[in-house]
Parts: sequence; structure tokens; C-alpha cells
Amino acid sequence: MNGLGRTWRWIASPKQYIGLFLVLLLLAFPLVVTSPFYIQIMIMVLFFAYLSSCWNIISGYAGQLSIGHAAFLMVGAYTSSLLFSNLGLSPWIGMLIGGLLAVLLGLLIGYPTFRLRGAYFAIATIVWAEGLRKIVENTEFIGGLKIGGAEGLTIPLIHHSLANYQFVNKTYYYYIMLGLMLLIIYLTYRIDRSKLGYYLSAVREDEDAARALGVNVRKYKLMAMAISAFFTALAGTFYAQLLLYIEPVDIGGIALSIEMLLIGVIGGRGTIIGPIVGAFLLVPCKELVRTYIGTTYVGAHLVLYGAIMVMVILFFPQGLERPFRRCYLGLARWLGQAERAEGEGR
Amino acid sequence: MEIYAQAIVNGILIGSIYGFTAFGLTLIFGIMRVVNFAHASLLMMSMFLAYGVTRTGVNPYLAILVEIPVLFIAGYILQRSLIEHVIKREPGVREPMSVLLLTAGLLVLIENLALVLFGPDYKMARTAYFGATFKLSGVIIKTAWFYGLIATLGCYFLVNAFLKWTRMGQAIRATGQDRDAAQLMGIDHYHIFGVAFGIGMALLGVCGAILVPFYYVHPAVGWVFGINSFIIVILGGLGSIPGAFWGGIIIGLIESVGAQFMNATWTIVVVYGVFLSILFIRPAGLFGLRQEW
Amino acid sequence: MRRVFMAMIILCLAALTLPGFAVQPAQAESVRIGAVFPLSGPLAPIGGHIKQGITIAVEDINKAGGIKSLGGAKMEVVYGDSTGDAKVGVTEIERLITKDKVCAVTGAYQSGVTLPMATVAERYQVPFYATGSEDSITQRGYKYTFRSNEKTSWRVRDQVGFIVAMGKKYGDPVKTAGLVWENTAWGQGAHRDWQKYLKEAGIEIVVDEPYPHATTDLTPVILKLKKGKPDCIFCCSYISDAILLINTIAEMEVKAKAVIGLSGGYADPNFIPGVGKNCLNMFDAVRWEPDFPRPGIKEINERYKALSGVILDTEVMKQYTYMWVLAEAVNKAGSTDPKKIRDALAGLHLKAPHPAVQFVEDELYFDQTGQVFAGSMVGVQFREVNGKIERVTVWPENMCRKGFEPIWPMPSK
Repeated sequence: MNGLGRTWRWIASPKQYIGLFLVLLLLAFPLVVTSPFYIQIMIMVLFFAYLSSCWNIISGYAGQLSIGHAAFLMVGAYTSSLLFSNLGLSPWIGMLIGGLLAVLLGLLIGYPTFRLRGAYFAIATIVWAEGLRKIVENTEFIGGLKIGGAEGLTIPLIHHSLANYQFVNKTYYYYIMLGLMLLIIYLTYRIDRSKLGYYLSAVREDEDAARALGVNVRKYKLMAMAISAFFTALAGTFYAQLLLYIEPVDIGGIALSIEMLLIGVIGGRGTIIGPIVGAFLLVPCKELVRTYIGTTYVGAHLVLYGAIMVMVILFFPQGLERPFRRCYLGLARWLGQAERAEGEGR
Repeated sequence: MEIYAQAIVNGILIGSIYGFTAFGLTLIFGIMRVVNFAHASLLMMSMFLAYGVTRTGVNPYLAILVEIPVLFIAGYILQRSLIEHVIKREPGVREPMSVLLLTAGLLVLIENLALVLFGPDYKMARTAYFGATFKLSGVIIKTAWFYGLIATLGCYFLVNAFLKWTRMGQAIRATGQDRDAAQLMGIDHYHIFGVAFGIGMALLGVCGAILVPFYYVHPAVGWVFGINSFIIVILGGLGSIPGAFWGGIIIGLIESVGAQFMNATWTIVVVYGVFLSILFIRPAGLFGLRQEW
Repeated sequence: MRRVFMAMIILCLAALTLPGFAVQPAQAESVRIGAVFPLSGPLAPIGGHIKQGITIAVEDINKAGGIKSLGGAKMEVVYGDSTGDAKVGVTEIERLITKDKVCAVTGAYQSGVTLPMATVAERYQVPFYATGSEDSITQRGYKYTFRSNEKTSWRVRDQVGFIVAMGKKYGDPVKTAGLVWENTAWGQGAHRDWQKYLKEAGIEIVVDEPYPHATTDLTPVILKLKKGKPDCIFCCSYISDAILLINTIAEMEVKAKAVIGLSGGYADPNFIPGVGKNCLNMFDAVRWEPDFPRPGIKEINERYKALSGVILDTEVMKQYTYMWVLAEAVNKAGSTDPKKIRDALAGLHLKAPHPAVQFVEDELYFDQTGQVFAGSMVGVQFREVNGKIERVTVWPENMCRKGFEPIWPMPSK
């Protein structure tokens, strides 16, 4: 009885119900807007929101700037696609296996590389990711297994099959991505409030001091890397099933890594909803700019990204999440006051 | 056998040019502890500038005279108006992260601005040095590469001399070694940073002039050198110009001689492999952070 | 101050999203075809030329009465820019299908982009007229993919056939081959086919060198060619690599009996200006050349030259014919229903003379996999004609330009 009351008061407080309202909007979106064009844009928004949030765990919370995260996407996509094309294994399961392989890769890369700091680490991640991508690009076959090399892999078209992670109607993909995004938000929230999050922020703020205080720096960095890698790989499978075609330069390339980074930084590293805010602001812009100005002025959308990034670093180094949160809390307070005033007026 | 001699000569020539592209980067790091991610796009802009000069029909190497002042001033302004702001925010930190992110943002901005302004077409400068070669005891040497080597060595000695023997050079070295002590000595270290950045950019400018006679010019050309320059800088040791020079030669040789033993598509993987190994065994690079000047 | 900037950022972003809400006025009475090509990025020049070719084709189609079975409805093309990137190509074709409601799509020059685009078209059941030579484009069992390009394997087959024929004719056969190919979908496909056809012809591959696409320096690769001394060098490159390749071969003084390209960059109008005299006497295998004996080419060439500044090349001419094929299909279907258009395409059979029939073969129809029947490629040699370097058709003999015998082997400079 008491629990119900507490829950009701929690939901009824403006801080929560604005957020819940936004989630409801997202849930209802494809039911209201049925044009596949706009649903595709929203899928991309959710996709990047998810990706940047995964990236945020290692680069925001742990403070280890990674510019090679696309490699994990590549691992996830290739694993599930190869298993599906050759063994008929459902991409859902392939996705989880891809995630595990990505974790292994992340640990393998992290173990020697975490010794490095700041820019050295960042550059090393670029080299790792590019090296891996080039290896995949150069490899057409491993034994009898077709890897595809630069040609890429096509995933067999089955039209519509839940078990095989393929749908003709975009709406299914939308909900899957929305689910993943909500999952990563929740996960980030838990990490933020947990001991892991606490240790990670110590490592991020001052690694030497943390080590001096007895924090096992390497262990926590590796943990963050593992979590980040696993969830990034899940998105790789999603992408493969959405496009039904993957090629190394596209899914493992540095452009994608940089885009993840841009959105994460502009949104706000080390915050729960920073990357989400970043994605919701930037991705629709990019798609619409590309559609309408892109043919005449190529690259215009990236000029926008770059310019916003520079402005954000100069004026909002904590990311746009800060002012967004202030607006949000301001609105919540105003709504709360309005309610209280109402109550008092009685 | 003469093929291998040719490959070695090619590797040394192109390698020294690779190294040259990294001079500016390593200098800026050595003095300011700033890894300038925008380096690749700035090199691309300097190439466009040189390309523009060649269109007037003059000798492409005369572009150097235009590049040096323009890029020096641009570098100084860039440093003092943008980068300085961000450095000032983290005064105690030696290697500010936000500068890294700022320069990354600049990279995306500059590269795509070039794309919008100049279009994506590949442009090739039509100069007298296009395809020109000469022979030295049976080995074919590309004239443009040879001049590149000369410019590399020239700048190498010039910069070293400048840093060692002029007052400004010494002030720069001092600021690089110990920012606070230098400040106590009355050196305005933000001005010094500006000058150092300007010199770094001027070096990039000379690079641009050298590359234009034999490389395509297009907005994405910076990436070719971009990743390589970072590898070279770390390989040779951040802050060490001789390190950048020798690092470049190593990369050039791996690419050129290595290609004789494997497909060209794999040599770059070898380069990455070598790089990562050095990074783990000796992160300070070949020449370490020992201040060479 | 901060708040002002913040407001500015938000307003800018918001303003940029406004065009998204603009409603596209429906064009009454026009048949909309989608076209996705690399209009930006490193292949932008060829994308631009293809677009110009399409423009001329649509002009011709509409001038000839438009789609007669739909009351003379005009053909209208909506463009998408693949930027040379598969992911973007996929988004663009989807936009064209779902937002602009095109009834058929053509694209995308690059095999690596065409493949995933075909999947999208298949999902939405819209006919996709593919331009890409990678064999698998029509080998995946898709019902809605049609291709009027020659397959890479056919190009290679005829390329090798040409070399063998030359060797026989002049008593100086090619015994060894050096392969230089760019490392993307197209090059890898060509590589596989070379291994098959060269083996059949009894030619030994002594040098086999892939190189990274869009590389900036090919000297190490060329050195290996020099070391291996193949009789014939087979190349597969897009435009910028092609120019680099031929220039470096000249710089490093590599000699061979023949150097032959596989269309692509070698057929690009920017190739000859890029290499100058270095391409003299080299060969290419291509589907079409402006000196074919077909009616009407001169006029089309003139109008195209006025628009683009260069003469027609094989890629542009192919695309010109594709628009006519699509027009005929819509006409035959008598509707803009994609499914009906698809069936019309499957049963189409055009015969020369017809604006869509411009190649070696005299008719046009599709097989069960959606692949067009194509006759052989022609062999072309770069020769000096009236002081300028031109591509001259030299094989097969019935297509050979009058007065030009092939020069075999390539003379050493």
C-alpha cells in the first residue's frame, strides 16, 4: 500500500513524468507518423543515441577517449552475419556471440593499450581500428569461409521473419532500436550510481591519485571497455540486419567512430543522457541537411557538426546536456510550483 | 637486385617527405603538449593554397614564399583566438584533453568546408616537374621527390638552428621545458605558443608546396598523411624533430621495400603493427622526450 | 553571453530542420524515375557526367512524345547522391521510393553501392535498373533487379579474348600476365575472373598486385611489375588510380607488350588529359565507343558536349540507353505501378534501330535473372589522331575504325 503510494508520488513528480511523457512520445511516434522516410530518420537518431551512449561508458565515464569504436560494430556485424549466412544461426543469437567476441577484442586491445594516456591512447585506438578494418578488407576467404574482403557481405533476404531478425516494415526496427536505447540509458544510470561509476570517475579525474589510493585502475578500465564493447557490437548486428549488407569501410571505418565521438562530446561526456541529447539534436539535422542541401553543397552537414563541436568545446565544455538539463529541471520546477500553487489555492 | 636498390631509394625519398609532414606536429606537441588533430586538414588546406599558386603558372616551389607567411599568421591567429581559450581553462594540466577535442572538431569543420568550397574533384597540378625523373647510377629518381628531400633537410637544419641560436628559439625551448619557470623569467608563454604554432603551420605550408607537384589535391587528401604523421610522431617521440625524420624514413622503407615481399594492401598493416609494438615496448618513441635542442 | 550562443545554436539547428516539413507538391501527369549516383566524393566527376547523360536522354524521351500509353506523360528524374558510400546510397534509394514515390530506380555506378540498393528495391518491390558490373548483382535471385551493364566476367572474358586474338594475328602472343587491381568489390571480382580466363587461355600470372583503393602512391606496386616483367599488364582501376598508375608506369620505365584497362577509370573522359602521352598505344576493353556505326550518335554527342564539355563515353551512353529502356517499359506497362513495370521489363524486347540499342549487339532483352543479353566488348587503342590522343576502336574487325590497324605489340619508347 505504502509502496504503491510511493510509486505514484514518484511518477507524479514533474521531474519523472516529463521524461516518461517523452518516452511515450517516442513509443507512439511510428503509429502517428507512418512515412517510412521519417521513421528511418528516427531509427538513425536512436541508433546514434545508442552508439554514443555505449561509447560514453569508456570515453565519458572512464575518460579514455576512444576513436576506434567502429571496430566493435564491425565485429558484431560480421559475427552474426557469417553465422547466419553459413550456419543458419538466428542473428539474435549471433548478436550475443558477436557481443562476446567484441568483449574479447576490447580486453585484448585494452590490456596493453590502457597503459597509455590521453592522446597516445586515442591515437592507438585509431590505429587498432584501422588495422583491423584493413585486415578484413584484404581478406576474401579464410579457408573456405567467405569473408568478402572489400566487397563486403550480403545477408540473405528473407523479407519478414522475427526469428531471423528481418522485417519489411521499418516500424519493427524502430522499436528494437528504441528498446536498446532505453536499455543503455538504464544501464548507464545504474553504472553512474554504482561503485563502478564511482571508481571510474576517480580514474577519469586523476588516474595517478586513484592509483595511489589503491584503486585497481586497470581493472576498472577493462570493465568499462568490456561493457562498452559488448553493447556496441549489438548495434553492429542491428545495422547489418537493417541494411542487409556490410562492408568494412562503412561499418568499421573512422568516419563512424568520429561521428560517435562528435555526438558524445557535443551531448556531454560522462553524463547519462548527454549522448542522447546530442543525437536527438544532431542526427535529424544531418539527415535533413543532407536531403535538401547535400546535393548542391556536399559535406554541408559535417561542416555543421564540426562548427557545433568547436562552439561546444569553447562555450559548453560539459556538453549541451547541461543547458538541456537546466531547461528540463526548470520546466519541472515550474510545473511543480504550478501544482503546489493549485493545491495551496484550495 | 637493382629493383631492391630502387625500392630502398624510393622508400628513403618518400619517407623523408612523410617525416617532414610530421615536423610541425611534433614541434607543437613538444612545446605546447598539444596533439593537433586538425593537422591533416591544415596540410590539405596548404596544398590547396599551393595548388592555387601553381595555377598562375609560376614554378610550384615558389609557392613556398606564399605559404610560409600565410600559414604562419594563420597558425598564430588560430592558436591565440581558439586554442588558447581552451588551454587557459585547464592551467594545471599538462596535456589538456579538451584541446584534443577542439582540434578534432576543427578537423571535421575544415575538411568539410574545403569540400563545400572546392568540390570533391581530384585536382592535379600541371607543372614542369610532373613525371620528371632523372637517373643516378641506374636508379630512377623522381625529381619532385628529390626536391622534397632537399626541402626536408633544409627545414630540418633551419629549424634546429633557429631553436638553438636565436633568442626566440631559446624562449620557445624554455617554454617547452618548463612553462612556469619560463613565465617567471618574463616570457609571455601564450605569445610563444602562438609563435610555435605559427612555425608548425609554416612547416606544413612548405610541405604543401612540395607535395603538390606529385600528389592529387582534394579535400580528403589530408587523411593519407594524417594517420601516418601521428604514427611517425609517436614512433620518433613526441617533441623530437630528428625522431620525426627517422620515423618517416622507417615508414617509407617499410612501405616501399615491404611491398616487394607482400601485396601493397598489407604493407600498411605491417606499419600499424610496428607502430603498436613500439608503443607498447617504448612509448616514448625512438628519440624519447629528450629535448634535442 | 553563453545563453545567447546557446539560443543561436538551437535556432540554427531548428531552422535547418524546417525544410523537412515542407510538403512536396505532387507533379501531376509525370512519371518519376529515381537515379542514385555518386554526385559528390571522389567519383563525383563521373556521377556528374552520368547525370548530364540522363538529362539529355529525358529531353529526347519527352520530345519524342513522352510516355504515350499514359497520354504523353513526361518523364521526370529525381536524383539521389550516393556520395560513393553504400550506407548513403541505401538511405537515398529508400527516400526516393518512400518519399518521392518513384516508380523505378536506376543506379549506382559502383558495384559496392549497387548491391545493397538492390536489396532495398527488392524489399519495397520497386524495379531497380542496376548499373554496376559485379556479377552477383543479378545472381541473388531477386525479382526486381535488372541489369543492362555487361558483367565484370564478360568484360574480362573479352579483354583476355582481345589480347589472345592480337597475339595470334601478329604472331607475337602473350605468355605471362601482370595484374594490377583496386581493392574494392569491382577489383576483387575482376581478379577472380582473370584467374579463370587467363588460365583457360594458357597465360601465366606472374605478378598479382591489389592496391588500396584511392591510394596516392603506386610506386611500390609498379616496381613489382618491373621486376616480374609480364608480357601484358592487366589493370582495373577507377579514374584517379588509373591516371596515377599509367603515369607511374611511364616514370618507372616499365615495358610490356601490352597494357590494357577494364573500362572504369580508363574509359573516363578525364583519363587522357590526366596522363597525356603516357597512354599512347595502350589498350582498353569497353562496351561502347563514340565511333560505333550507329545512327544519331553525332547529334547526341554534340548536345552532350555542349552540356558537359567532353565527348560521350561508355558510362554516359549506357545510362542514356537505360532511360530509354525504362521509358519503353513504363509505356508497355501502361501504368506507374512498379509491379506492372517490373513485368514489362522482364518481357521487353527491343531491336535496332532504337535509341536504346547502341552496342555491338542488335537487340535488347533480359534473361530470367534480369541480366541483359550483351554481345562482346570491343578492343580500343589510344592513338594519336590529328595531333590529339583519342580512343580508337580496333577490334573486333567489323567494328574497327576505318584506317586504323592495331599496333601490336606496344612500341618501346
